[in-house]
Amino acid sequence: MTPSFALYVGLPGQGMHLHLDALSLLFLGILLPQVVAGAMAGMRKSVTFWVFALGMGLALAAADAFTLIFGFELMSAASWLLVLRGDQKPATLYVGTAIFSAACLIPAVFLPAGPLAFLLIVLGAGAKAGLAPLHFWLPRAHPAPPAGVSALMSGGMVKVALYVIIRYAFVVLAPAAQPWWGGVLVAAGAASVLIGALRAMLEGELKTVLACSTVEHVGLITVGLGIALRGKAMDDATMAGLGLQAALLYAVAHGLYKPLLFIGAGEVKHGVGTTALDWLGGLVRGMPKLGLLMLAGAAGMSAMPLGPGFAPEFLLLHAAIAAAGSGGIIARIGFTALLAVLGVGAALALGAAVRLFGIGFLGRPRTLQAAAAEEARRGPLAGMALLGALCVPVALLPGLVLNLLTPVILELAPQAQTPPLAYAPLSLAVLAGLVAGAGWLALRRYGVRGTREVAAWNGGFGKAPPWLPFGDPAAQPSATGFAEPIGRAIGRGLLAPGGADPAEAFLLAPLQRLHTRGVRLAERIRRATIRQRLAFVFAALVVFLLALGLGEGS
Amino acid sequence: MLLTLLLRLLATLLHAALMFGLAPLLMGVVSTLRAWALGRRGPAFVQPYRDLYKLLRKATLAPDTASQLFSAWPVAGVLALAVAAMLVPGFSTGLLTAPLSDLITILGLLGLARAATMLGGLEAGSGFGGAGAWREALYGVFAEGALLVVLLCFGLLAHTVTVDGIALAFATQHIGISVSLGFALAAILAVGLTETGRIPTDNPSGHLELAMVHEAMLLEYSGRNLLLLNYAAMLRLALWMSLIGSIFLPFGMARAADILSWPGGLLLWALKLGAMAAALAVFEVSSAKMRVFRVPEFLGVAMLLGMLAGIFLFVAARIGA
Repeated sequence: MTPSFALYVGLPGQGMHLHLDALSLLFLGILLPQVVAGAMAGMRKSVTFWVFALGMGLALAAADAFTLIFGFELMSAASWLLVLRGDQKPATLYVGTAIFSAACLIPAVFLPAGPLAFLLIVLGAGAKAGLAPLHFWLPRAHPAPPAGVSALMSGGMVKVALYVIIRYAFVVLAPAAQPWWGGVLVAAGAASVLIGALRAMLEGELKTVLACSTVEHVGLITVGLGIALRGKAMDDATMAGLGLQAALLYAVAHGLYKPLLFIGAGEVKHGVGTTALDWLGGLVRGMPKLGLLMLAGAAGMSAMPLGPGFAPEFLLLHAAIAAAGSGGIIARIGFTALLAVLGVGAALALGAAVRLFGIGFLGRPRTLQAAAAEEARRGPLAGMALLGALCVPVALLPGLVLNLLTPVILELAPQAQTPPLAYAPLSLAVLAGLVAGAGWLALRRYGVRGTREVAAWNGGFGKAPPWLPFGDPAAQPSATGFAEPIGRAIGRGLLAPGGADPAEAFLLAPLQRLHTRGVRLAERIRRATIRQRLAFVFAALVVFLLALGLGEGS
Repeated sequence: MLLTLLLRLLATLLHAALMFGLAPLLMGVVSTLRAWALGRRGPAFVQPYRDLYKLLRKATLAPDTASQLFSAWPVAGVLALAVAAMLVPGFSTGLLTAPLSDLITILGLLGLARAATMLGGLEAGSGFGGAGAWREALYGVFAEGALLVVLLCFGLLAHTVTVDGIALAFATQHIGISVSLGFALAAILAVGLTETGRIPTDNPSGHLELAMVHEAMLLEYSGRNLLLLNYAAMLRLALWMSLIGSIFLPFGMARAADILSWPGGLLLWALKLGAMAAALAVFEVSSAKMRVFRVPEFLGVAMLLGMLAGIFLFVAARIGA
């Protein structure tokens, strides 16, 4: 049932081997609709795009370490070219992170199974997936390329990186696994959730908001994986099962609604000319189809019930509750804090989604371009509709999707228990339908029908003057103003001074200072006079002889 | 077997009918008791029904700056709350909806209702609506975190997180009075007061205050839409009171399969709701509304109390086994 292929290219004497097991098939399945949607969104004729997709496919189907690394680096290089096409500055940051990631991954895959290999894998693949604290490049690089590529980077590339973590943590390095490995993943994931959700709430640019939300969702998936890894190492069947169910279902759902949102953001850019939230407004009037699809995506992004994102969130919270019920007291307190973090993250994600849709698509237009925006082009809209249609089974029949995931879960953790899902969206929908029917009948029977359109009351300000057809754009809530109070209430504690990302302020900035200092030192050495150089050589000789003599003497 | 199912169905229908029918009465009781406590005569208990009926007969206006989704938000909000109200047990445990009554589902439905109201507030692009929406978003961040840690505490004590299971476990097992549950109660009361928009975080009787939250998002709504939004607020209050009642005062709850226990359960439910309404009225009269930026601190304390409740449980090692 598990087909293997050998390709007659690659390392001399070895070639490259492909092998499709349940895990690879699942991730290829996650990838496929995004590639189709990305191609429909206007990337069909780009060779680099197809190389990018090929690299991801190769990494997912790889049977040996060389093929995996080859596919992974092909993916990195092709996506770098695509980012470069959009913007040069993030491309440099991106390629730097990609090199760091390769420098961690290449030794890791050839090391014997052990903690060092695991940590290198988490560093290398985590940097590619946008796991805190190595997520700083993601909100810069993901928005840069065209929308179809952004969609595939956010929905697909981070999944490939997560696939590498899953493949090594659960399969390849499994004999050496220890419970603290799960703890590392949970900690990194929780940090990503908090930072990603907070920045998604605070950023003012539509695509950057989506990229920050990707950081959050990668964090959520990683938390699920960490709980499962811990449960597997501690032989706790419930924890392992729930964690894996949550993580994999999240990967499936996120692979559908995030590309949808990114392609939609591209269409906003095409229609309005900008994706800055403070320049949009009222788009749902001009672009009703795009607006509805974006609403569906936002419902997934904020994990609303009856949306695609709720079932995995539900499972993840249950996994965290199960994890808090076992283990030592420090771990239990840690998982209690994790629940608080997940709650804050979920509410921030809800706020971010409301802000994205409420400021960008509802309200009054803030610019003439926003007022004149026309419906999105047919190709991208069809791609979004495809992804939106695939969201429906995930949203309404998560139990069926989980049944499909069971072979993957059993492959990763053979002892895992997968109890049936306690969240039944169909029953909730039936209840809502009954209430809606009764309410509609009552309103129809007793109420006054029809709706009259009038000027907005607007706190008594009345109608705007005729030269302001949409009212004063400055007198309506802005994206910046919407986020400011939250930035004030929790941003101060979590972000670096000035609202910068902590990873940038405390990791990237010191590295840059170190680099500058190193360059200055090298420059000083280069500019040394002949006397200084001779003195240096002489001093080195004296020190060497002294050391030798002292070593002989003792 | 069939009889049990039939009885459970009947109990569920009765619960839904009482919840939907009496939610306005509960709101009326609270306002009237509040007026009494202030020394005023106050409106009749049935005043909310009259208000709702008045709105039913009024024309529905939509601002010209609003989108075509303007009337969808009140419907979404009221539906989410109605489903949640059917899940939370009231007078009886073992309703047909009991397996669905997972606290996380209820949390999600409350979040859905909140999101719908916020989007409604942003519809017309007026300043008040936006201000209400950001305040709601700010409060939600802390409230949800606090609620999840409290939920963990219940889950550890009752070994389940369905409201029905918690109510059953707390009613039958000997849990006793513990510091943890006290902290959890304080935390959930703080969250409940915020979610239902009561003093000290929001003033339900304040129209056109600068610091209003819930009312600010409804300003552009009228007629049928306003009816739905106001009814949603009433449902939310009844839901939170039933929720807190069935977790912290689960004694005397009827069992759906045993019809003879229903009258006692109904009576006790009415008494519990009445007592909570009186307590809420007295509390509201005796405390003042907070500044907006004090609310995160208030809810942050709730979150810490919830965490402390969990930690005390771990230390006391009453869990496990």
